[in-house]
Amino acid sequence: MQLLQLLVFPGLTFFVWIAFAFEWLERKTAARMQGRVGPMIAGPFGLLQPVADFLKLASKEQIIPKHSEKFVLTWGPPLYFAAPAIGIIFIPVIGNESIIGHPLDLLFVLFVLAFSTLMASLLGYSAAGRYSTIAVGRLVVQYTSYEIPLILSVISPAILAGNLSLGGIVSAQSNYWFILSAPIGFAVFIIASLAELEKPPFDIPSAKTEIVGGWMTDFSGNALAYVKLTKNLSYVFLSALAVTLFLGGPNGPVLFHQIILQYVMNTIYFMVKLFSVGFLIFVVKTALARIRIDQAAELFWTILTPLSLAQLGLVILLR
Amino acid sequence: MSKKRIGKALGEMFKTAMEEPVTVKYPFGAVIVAERFRGKLDVDPIRCTGCGVCEIVCPAGVITMVPVGKRSIGQREIEVKKPVFDLYTCISCGQCVEDCRFGALALTNKFELAVFDKGSLIMKKALKVVQ
Amino acid sequence: MSEEEKERREVGAGLMEYSPENLVPFGPVHPSLKEPEYFKLILEGEKIVEVHPRIGYVHRGIERAAQDRTWVKNIYLFERICGICSFAHSLAYTEGTESLTEFQIPVRAKYLRVLIAELERIHSHLLWLGLVGYWTGFDTLFMWIWKDREHVLDLLEAITGNRVHKSFSTLGGVRKDLTPALVSKLEEETKFITERVKYYETLVHSEETLVSRTRGVGRLTKEIAERLCPVGPLLRCSGIDRDVRKEDPYAAYEFIQPEVKTSNAGDIESLLSIRLAEVTDSCRMISEALDRLPEGPVRVPFPRIIPRGDAFFHVEAPRGELFYFIRSNGTPKPERVKIRTPTLANLLTAAEMLKGRPLADVPVVLTGIDPCFGCMDRVTVIDVDKSKKWSVSGEELRVYGIEYYRRGAGKR
Repeated sequence: MQLLQLLVFPGLTFFVWIAFAFEWLERKTAARMQGRVGPMIAGPFGLLQPVADFLKLASKEQIIPKHSEKFVLTWGPPLYFAAPAIGIIFIPVIGNESIIGHPLDLLFVLFVLAFSTLMASLLGYSAAGRYSTIAVGRLVVQYTSYEIPLILSVISPAILAGNLSLGGIVSAQSNYWFILSAPIGFAVFIIASLAELEKPPFDIPSAKTEIVGGWMTDFSGNALAYVKLTKNLSYVFLSALAVTLFLGGPNGPVLFHQIILQYVMNTIYFMVKLFSVGFLIFVVKTALARIRIDQAAELFWTILTPLSLAQLGLVILLR
Repeated sequence: MSKKRIGKALGEMFKTAMEEPVTVKYPFGAVIVAERFRGKLDVDPIRCTGCGVCEIVCPAGVITMVPVGKRSIGQREIEVKKPVFDLYTCISCGQCVEDCRFGALALTNKFELAVFDKGSLIMKKALKVVQ
Repeated sequence: MSEEEKERREVGAGLMEYSPENLVPFGPVHPSLKEPEYFKLILEGEKIVEVHPRIGYVHRGIERAAQDRTWVKNIYLFERICGICSFAHSLAYTEGTESLTEFQIPVRAKYLRVLIAELERIHSHLLWLGLVGYWTGFDTLFMWIWKDREHVLDLLEAITGNRVHKSFSTLGGVRKDLTPALVSKLEEETKFITERVKYYETLVHSEETLVSRTRGVGRLTKEIAERLCPVGPLLRCSGIDRDVRKEDPYAAYEFIQPEVKTSNAGDIESLLSIRLAEVTDSCRMISEALDRLPEGPVRVPFPRIIPRGDAFFHVEAPRGELFYFIRSNGTPKPERVKIRTPTLANLLTAAEMLKGRPLADVPVVLTGIDPCFGCMDRVTVIDVDKSKKWSVSGEELRVYGIEYYRRGAGKR
């Protein structure tokens, strides 16, 4: 039963479908805001376009560059995919507890985030192209910049809840959401998420007009399909984390006595919050231009780190 | 100059999202071209006298005059020529239309000239009338 | 050894020290380049130390082809040098050819030429502005501006019959006349464009992420500009007030004066504001031209043979001064046509502006000159032994070829 939960609902399959839905929503919102129509052929309103893209890419031939590290290039993408896929099953969806809860799973989730970036830089370096080498340099600089504000902003809810497990944090939010006492933390988390996801204004490691495909330049076929899927899954993962930490997870305004109905309602609440956070990220992403890596580092070190520290102090005082 | 701030484009973004998208769903919907649009060349076989001016002025070498028969004027017999149009090289400049004093040539507003067989774009309309 | 030569040698010697790992190729195929062109970027980390452009990828031999075509056919040939400033090319060629004869072009035709030239300037500048959005990762700006640019292209199609290759100017005047419906449409659309440009002007100067990518980027000083002789908006952004439309009026520019806007900042932001101001100014000039449009014919019959003589003609294309040299030997075909496009003049300035900047600035600065490599590519000679590179004219190449065979080097 637990295995079924892990693999189907609310586990991997469920989130992979949400990842596809996120990509569709991202493309559609961006398109509509720019006066275009976006995907519209595959499926109703083009809903199946991301799936079609994935299948097409996965069925293509993978070209491995001559001087690249073949072992890493072959086995790296599944490992890269594993990072958000493992992290996401710790997110509580149907109730206050996730499928496999652990008293310290917040730390594990943070490790997964770091591991994802590590895999990305490893993949970029092993491809051994000039563009990917530069991109990895940028990726690492960006990582060192955003990681501290990200972790600091994650600590605030943990302190408020007095708990280091995601389930505990969600339970602590049954009365009020932590976004009310930690609004700056939420904002910093969203900005750091944009950096983690390499979305504008922080799409510096994958800036196509400067370094072609970023660290993904030398990827093709199956590997590229999985890398892209992983990016979408990370998208869902970070949005879900924001929902869990700041927006009360699956907690909703109305409680039901019937257990199944409660599960369904919890899932619906969670999804609504998830897509709202996702939508927020899409809008921010569409409204901004890409900044330079030095500007990004400056932003994170001089503005966001002090801000999140101030938030931390505030939270400690509140408590 | 207005003050610097982040997210200046947000208002316009939501405004645009409310408007109709400008995308023309081309293969599924028609594209409306202007009245003066210079598209595919068309010839009126009856008006064409086969004078050959169009062949001389064409900058892209679309037009070749081919002999279609003989005609006698008094004692002399002269070759009658009519134009064949290789429309796949046509650049739709309209120089031949301008220089045709008989008004036999015109540019239509058709623009879908992509074909699998290049030969289907060779227009031999003007030849048929004589034969 | 002259000072210049010494400098060149030093640069060449410096090149050898960089390992191939420091070299990042930018082009010939790159997402931010519309046309193939290769730039050798030598980096130290993210910082650019040297930029070496290598031109000639899309050399099409148009100047030679022109010698085999009649004067009229060449209009259509030169128009195809560049898609974006196609009218500037045909305008320079037709006006240059007309200056060889004594025919008077109707004033109405001159006004209509100005009208189309300014419409083309609007669409070219809007295209570039949209691309600035694209290069800085601001896709929304790109889509919006191109959406609005579509109005101008539709207008061009309605007036001339084609969006890109207008084929409007011809020897002896213009080919189509305006109708009352088109005049009202023109007035409406120029108002719309002015309105939109006003919004973009506030946007590009206030959206912080965009400003941080453009302000102070690629600073072009007056000294560098005087040394490297860029043209067009790039020259004007360094504070030098030059515009062919004002200094050497052609067509009807003596009646409709442009306002030349300059800036001393010399960065991409000032280029943005100069180009936006030029769009507004073009809209004003269009409505002015419509107001004063004289009655009369738009075309006079023109001979097929142009008298013997040389003509130098330059126009202000959207990207800067476009130069034509036309020589006629009294036959139905030109003997020689030499074209200097603005990009060739601007390219080295862009390379200079890039030095010391981070790699992230490459697309913005390099394409900030609004390059059109397809127009620019002439003959490029690469002498591997001396690691020198220069562009040569046809005549030089002919002399070089004769010498080459005289030396016996051609015998194998």
